[in-house]
Amino acid sequence: MKVKIGLEIHVHINTKSKLFCSCPTNYENAEPNELTCPICLGFPGSKPKVNKKVIDSALMVAKALNCEIARETFFSRKNYFYPDMAKNFQITQYEIPLAKNGFLEINEKKIRIRRVHVEEDPAKLIHVGGDITSAKYVLVDYNRSGIPLLEIVTEPDFESTKEVREFLSKLVSILEHLEIYDASREAALRVDANISIEGGEKVELKNITGFANVEKALNYEIVRQQNLKKMGLVVERETRHFDSQTKSTVSLRKKEFEEDYGYIFEPDLTKIEISENWLKEIEKKMPELPDMKIRRFVEIYGISEREAKIIVYTGKAFADFFEECSKLYKNFGNVAKWMVVDLLKCLNWNKISIKESKVTPRSFVELLELIDSGKITQRTAKEIIKEFVATGKSPKEIVKEKGLSVLREDEKLKEIVEKVVKENKKVVEDYLKGNEKALNFLIGLALKKSKMKADPKKARELILKIIQ
Amino acid sequence: MEEILEKVKKIQEKFSPFITIAEKVEFGKGKLSGIAISVKDNICTKGMRTTAGSKILENYVPPFDASVVEKCKREGAFIIGKTAMDEFGFGTFSTNCAFSIPKNPYDLKRSCGGSSGGAACLAAVADFPHIAIAESTGGSISCPASFCGVVGLTPTYGRVSRWGLIDYANSLDKIGCISKTVEDVALLLSVIAGPDEFDSTVLNLPKEDFTRYLIEDVKNVRIGVPKEYFEVDEKIAKIVWDGIKILESNGANYGEISLPSTKYALYSYYIIAMAEASTNLAKFCGMRYGLELELKGNFDEYFSKVRGIGFGEEAKRRIILGTFARMAGFRDAYYLKALKVRTKIIQEFKQAFKKFDVLIAPTMPIVAPKFEEIEKLEPIEQYMMDVLTVAPNLAGIPHISIPCGFLNGLPVGMHIIANHFQEGKALRVAYTFEKVKR
Repeated sequence: MKVKIGLEIHVHINTKSKLFCSCPTNYENAEPNELTCPICLGFPGSKPKVNKKVIDSALMVAKALNCEIARETFFSRKNYFYPDMAKNFQITQYEIPLAKNGFLEINEKKIRIRRVHVEEDPAKLIHVGGDITSAKYVLVDYNRSGIPLLEIVTEPDFESTKEVREFLSKLVSILEHLEIYDASREAALRVDANISIEGGEKVELKNITGFANVEKALNYEIVRQQNLKKMGLVVERETRHFDSQTKSTVSLRKKEFEEDYGYIFEPDLTKIEISENWLKEIEKKMPELPDMKIRRFVEIYGISEREAKIIVYTGKAFADFFEECSKLYKNFGNVAKWMVVDLLKCLNWNKISIKESKVTPRSFVELLELIDSGKITQRTAKEIIKEFVATGKSPKEIVKEKGLSVLREDEKLKEIVEKVVKENKKVVEDYLKGNEKALNFLIGLALKKSKMKADPKKARELILKIIQ
Repeated sequence: MEEILEKVKKIQEKFSPFITIAEKVEFGKGKLSGIAISVKDNICTKGMRTTAGSKILENYVPPFDASVVEKCKREGAFIIGKTAMDEFGFGTFSTNCAFSIPKNPYDLKRSCGGSSGGAACLAAVADFPHIAIAESTGGSISCPASFCGVVGLTPTYGRVSRWGLIDYANSLDKIGCISKTVEDVALLLSVIAGPDEFDSTVLNLPKEDFTRYLIEDVKNVRIGVPKEYFEVDEKIAKIVWDGIKILESNGANYGEISLPSTKYALYSYYIIAMAEASTNLAKFCGMRYGLELELKGNFDEYFSKVRGIGFGEEAKRRIILGTFARMAGFRDAYYLKALKVRTKIIQEFKQAFKKFDVLIAPTMPIVAPKFEEIEKLEPIEQYMMDVLTVAPNLAGIPHISIPCGFLNGLPVGMHIIANHFQEGKALRVAYTFEKVKR
């Protein structure tokens, strides 16, 4: 059955201060309600004040998404009562958003962007003793109240969850390159999705946090709607919530009509005029976007598109790491290969980013040079990566400490091999009878005895020498 | 110091202009040294209870000073107390106050006007140096000034920072001054006006000394007389005309003008004001500050109960009407239409000020009514009392009400209205009139 999906994406803009006051935005390290002031607490007599850096960031995103940018933009009050609202209205943009009619291409398909606008986040609700449908009571933390949000609304152009995933990957990469979005921050990305099948009623999935959950929620919902249809039942127009524990969607409320928010223009703020000069400044400040970077990596460094994509989409810091390494060491393909497989695997396994790890381009290059010179084996290199991601010690140090140097012409290896041969007479016989596998067994033993430091080729050579 | 507090106590017993009186008085240095400043209770004073005349803020003590209060303190003033007002500014007679209802100094059975009733009352009776900080949305400085026989100055919208003012209607609220003399209001305006980074709607104009406009000279000043404003009690009209004639005999000249959009001003005003007010008052829901009840039921049930108890009837009426005017299906016909009418009114004034320096009219269509008369009025009849003050307030142009005479022993006010940023012209005419009218 044909599926139609539209997305509403809310992203925290990574400025130092909130949107309408100068409270800091680093809520992860703060006590509840520590980062607040009369403005973001909605005290009587307080008034909002626009943080220009937020508009700068929003304009960069609008440009990156190929949007038409308004010459004049306003804020509006969206009025509704909810415990996470400091004023029981949200200052957002309604009539005249900052930007509209943009697009983002994913694999030759254009996903149209209906609008991009700026608004303030409400407070954080902590449901005690359950979730939104079952909690005994709710605690409110206003550290998040007033955090600047970018809202990106797409047309319902998605026809599969795969397309949604590709779009979000690309979008997140763009936002990350613009240094607007930090993936490591909790709840920095929230997605609402509108989904319908075969021209049926639209169901809204609200507040899906994090990338992975979006796909799960959509897949579940598609199946749910398909099942209803198969049974001859009608899909009702409603709002549902994604329960990340049960991986299912749960009905929140029936949507009989559109909520009436009684919008008025925010009378405490004046209009924002976006002049040509301002736009020119924004253009100058625009960093290189992911697509361009991928193309550049392929052209200039000659790495494969696949590798370039992985490096760039992993994150700007990862891409920068690649370039730093490439300044020090000219086998770019090698850098890419080792970054894309082993380094990335290690970072993921430890659940840290390249920035959080202790690896430096210099130490990474040192590692590659050690491999090139034959001083260590590929296997050893993998071990070293694990170590220096965690400790930051240079590969040479690690090799010295753990004595990981390759054993080749070493006496030690000769000793080990002689021992192996002596202790496994039967296996040697097997080999001499024609069993190739037996030789591998002996090599394996030798490697083991050498604590994996031996060069397999050399070990093979020596063994054969001794046997024959 | 004790003297003043004693005087204040006696005034409060007799006239009830205060909601809260300062516990101690501190003298400082500056332009306002030695002057008691009273603050209308919708303007935040740090550490001093601020209620906006409402039960929902009965025990609210703000953690910060409004910008105007800070500025006064820096110039050595002392804050003598918070004056009574209609709840959130909703009223013309200060009778919608959940605490004291101020009584007219000329007749204790009559209203002081509103919503800055307490401020005007205190200004009239204080027998120590005093200037009142007041606030106007649709005429709340001019009306009580007129009823109490004192001078009320409402500056251009955007002259004075609204940071710390508990909002009624953000696009209409202006902080101003009430006192016995024009000189006083000019002095206080000089202190409280000026740029402020905490209010985005404040004009970026340099600080001005408004006392330099206190010149006794109206030669060749062109006075416009809007005929629609004189469709009031003929006795009041005559008193104001006499005032205009006095100015004429001192060298000014006058001409009649028609402002046809005047008849729409009241409706445009109330729709815009109520629409904005209904959003401003949403924040009062029993969380973070103000009236709170036992936490029972879900959020909707809880906040509805708090608001049901905390808000007075007029507040509820305006919230409902204001919300209605913003609803889909009505928004275009009411809220957006009202905004268009407002633009028309502004344009009409702009045209008038091409021909005239100031416009003069009666401030109020009546003199101070008795409390028992007010009780009999329908809400809409109450709203109609604002008919002469709403248009200049909608347009955000500066205006001064100055005592002009008496009718049956009760004060009549003359309204001097000037173009945007032309407080100087209005002050000059007012000052001259004050001097020559004897």
